Amino acid sequence: MAKNSSARPLMSRIKDNLPIVVISIFSLILFVAIYIEGGNAQIFNTIITGGMWALLAVGLALVFGVMNIPHFAHGESFMIGAYVAYFTFTPMQEYLYTNPNKFLSAIAPLGAILTAGVAGAILGIIIEQLIFAPLRRRTKKDWIMNAFLLTVGISFVLSNGANLVLGPNFRGISRYWDVKAVEIGGAYMSVDRLIAFAISMVTIGALWFFLRRTRVGRAIRAVSQDETGAQLVGINLNFIQTLTFSLATAMASISGASLLFLFQAYPTVGGTPLYYAWYVVMMAGLGNVVGAIIGGFIVALLQTATQLFVAVSWTTVLPTVVMILVLLIAPSGIFGSEVKGVQEQ
Amino acid sequence: MLELKNINAGYDFLQVLWDVSFRVDEGELVALIGPNGAGKSTTLRTIAGLIKLKSGEILFNEKVINDKPTHLISQMGISYVSEKLNLFTGMSVRENLILGAYAIRDKEVQLETLAYIFELFPRLEERKDQLAGTMSGGERKMLAIARGMMSKPQLMLVDEPSLGLQPNLTQDVFSALIQLRERGVTVLLVEQNVNATLSFSDRAYVLEQGKIVMEGPSKEIKANKHVRNAYLGI
Ligand SMILES: Nc1ncnc2c1ncn2[C@@H]1O[C@H](COP(=O)(O)OP(=O)(O)O)[C@@H](O)[C@H]1O
Ligand SMILES: [Mg+2]
Repeated sequence: MAKNSSARPLMSRIKDNLPIVVISIFSLILFVAIYIEGGNAQIFNTIITGGMWALLAVGLALVFGVMNIPHFAHGESFMIGAYVAYFTFTPMQEYLYTNPNKFLSAIAPLGAILTAGVAGAILGIIIEQLIFAPLRRRTKKDWIMNAFLLTVGISFVLSNGANLVLGPNFRGISRYWDVKAVEIGGAYMSVDRLIAFAISMVTIGALWFFLRRTRVGRAIRAVSQDETGAQLVGINLNFIQTLTFSLATAMASISGASLLFLFQAYPTVGGTPLYYAWYVVMMAGLGNVVGAIIGGFIVALLQTATQLFVAVSWTTVLPTVVMILVLLIAPSGIFGSEVKGVQEQ
Repeated sequence: MLELKNINAGYDFLQVLWDVSFRVDEGELVALIGPNGAGKSTTLRTIAGLIKLKSGEILFNEKVINDKPTHLISQMGISYVSEKLNLFTGMSVRENLILGAYAIRDKEVQLETLAYIFELFPRLEERKDQLAGTMSGGERKMLAIARGMMSKPQLMLVDEPSLGLQPNLTQDVFSALIQLRERGVTVLLVEQNVNATLSFSDRAYVLEQGKIVMEGPSKEIKANKHVRNAYLGI
């Protein structure tokens, strides 16, 4: 009898969370398989890639959750970040080449990445105030569709603008920090990769703290759960939405900047990151920030596994298939969506 | 304290309120009654700034407020507890309450108000870590009213707090409103439960098809023949 009653809730809990359970088991299997086949090196690779996708996807989830905008210009924020970092870092690098200074060499890359973040934040404010705020004042009708079309337009303008001003050339760096790779558990990781990962984790952690523990962060969550309720308690919707868009743009820029050694800056560099970030939020649940973080790592697992066990050329195919399967069993994503405003509008 | 002057308002092409005028004085508990679809909720939404006027003027403490956005109206001291409640369902009871005091930056004042609210609604304190979305209908109503009080408003607009509640919970909600008045908060109450409302409110307005058709002390309204026929079923 007792055995039965304790087993029952467990079974029904598994049933309630079926998509999460299935994906967890699936991820665990992939993890073990990657470890056996590729060892620590591939595991680290996966975790580092996961951190990148998570940082990008969190911004998408935030913009969708708070503003109900399916943001298809997120890749261009990545692109702008990469350019800003390139044009800030290379002069510093040249200067340091003729005037060597250990300390400056260590912090110059961080300065470039930070500059990219600030540039992204400002760009976000400009785009929000210039495009979405006026639309919001005019009409809320067909908001999601209109907003989507606008982001496609923004993406087009920004990437073509970059092409016009800077040309189609690739601008990259081989590395930020000119130091030897670090050995961890028999695998060698470049310092650039490790720091890029650290930056994505610190940024996500800071965002998490901001959303959970501060007055304004709580207001952002309030807007995502009930816009009218938020206004009724005195929250300035316009301010929160501009802030949210600015934060998301800054995060994408930081991502583009810290990965400059991997993705060179060129006008359409944002395509691949955008693809993966969207893939993460669709699988995890639109507007779900926590889901986006976990989803980033799951997608990275899928990517590495495909490269190891299938073929590099299938890297985008297999994740897409898995995403479609996930959406078939759980239409609102593995972790569900806490966005309420969408259906109501 | 609150004065509506010849309000015309509605949704897109549907005009709901026709030349509505009324006033609520400081310390009063005023009832707005009327049949379903008369425009009672629309009136409250208009005061809260969620609907823009076609014409007319709304004054709060002698200042025009109908050109202000909702969040500023809230910060000026008007708290609107809507019929939909508009709670933050994915947050705890405590977080909902803290957000109610969003405009009060002083942490100490916030916590004092929270302590007072918990005293008034012990049930909310018991449930302070529960997600608002998982609470029962009655508890949610309590939470919405409590959240509305967290900003220390001068005026509360409360829309059908007893709708869908069991009689004993309705009694709790009404006594909370009466306590509010005792603490000097002015209340404009929209209610279906006409009999009870007219027995504890000071004055009442009757809204029918978007027009004010009757006004006066609640006692007189309650004794009125038309009201007795249409709303009290006597
Ligand atoms: N969001 C809305 N959009 C369009 N019409 C509405 C909306 N809300 C209410 N109405 C209409 O406005 C009229 C008054 O509604 P309401 O103010 O909710 O009445 P009451 O609260 O007195 O029952 C009704 O005819 C209703 O159908
Ligand atoms: Mg109503």
